[in-house]
Amino acid sequence: MWRHGSGGMQTVTRKMTSMRRTGVLVALLAVLIAVAVAIAAVTFADATDDYPIPRHMLRTTCTAEQILAAARDVEPVYYERYMTDYNNKSPEVQRAVQDRIHWFYSMDYAGRRAYSERTATDAFYEQLAWNWPNWAKVFFNNKGLAARTTEICGQYPREDAFVWVW
Amino acid sequence: MSWLTRLVVPALAAVLLAAPAAADPDTDFTNELHTYGVYGQKDYNAWIGKITCKRLDRRVDKDVYASATFVHGHLAHGATTEQAWQFLTAALRTYCPQHLGRLDVAAR
Repeated sequence: MWRHGSGGMQTVTRKMTSMRRTGVLVALLAVLIAVAVAIAAVTFADATDDYPIPRHMLRTTCTAEQILAAARDVEPVYYERYMTDYNNKSPEVQRAVQDRIHWFYSMDYAGRRAYSERTATDAFYEQLAWNWPNWAKVFFNNKGLAARTTEICGQYPREDAFVWVW
Repeated sequence: MSWLTRLVVPALAAVLLAAPAAADPDTDFTNELHTYGVYGQKDYNAWIGKITCKRLDRRVDKDVYASATFVHGHLAHGATTEQAWQFLTAALRTYCPQHLGRLDVAAR
């Protein structure tokens, strides 16, 4: 009886050890999967048609001046804040912002999409961002604003430099 | 009465009495808007009021009719034309009284 009892105990102990091993293996597997997913997420951080630059901005035929004029009317507080920031920058940075945004809107969809891709995957690509991280905030940072401004931007003059003075 | 109390009590009284005298224009503006049934976020309304003045200064809005249209576009849905004009009048009075005369011209 005693021997039999001891044998039963050994079986239970063996089973428990085996279960613990399985548990450890499952935990290890979970950690491995989590790491793999994390690495994959980093590797495939990619631009989409809406990120980081909203699709309306990739496709619009308006100029930067037309978009600013529209923002001044439909999103006045957003425009006000952007222009306050802009006015606090040096004339050199202001010039660079205008040149860069003119360059952006001079490109076709493919060019703009490629630019969006570069800025999403390479933090060092847009040099202007080092001088002013929010340099294109009124153009690129808000999908709702992009939709509202591009909807009406066509009704404003294409080359009204006055929109940069606020 | 200790010397400390003699010093602190008048100082405290001065601070408490001074506070209402130096009222914030944004608060006055908000309070006036409430009398017209115009609510919404205080800072936002103040922004719209100040920007309305700026637009008149820079001739983005060429007259107060354009200002009223601008204001109406940024009030909550369902706001009436009358409320837009009330907002505009309050904004000019609070933030740029130099433009108030333009309302008279429009009323003629």
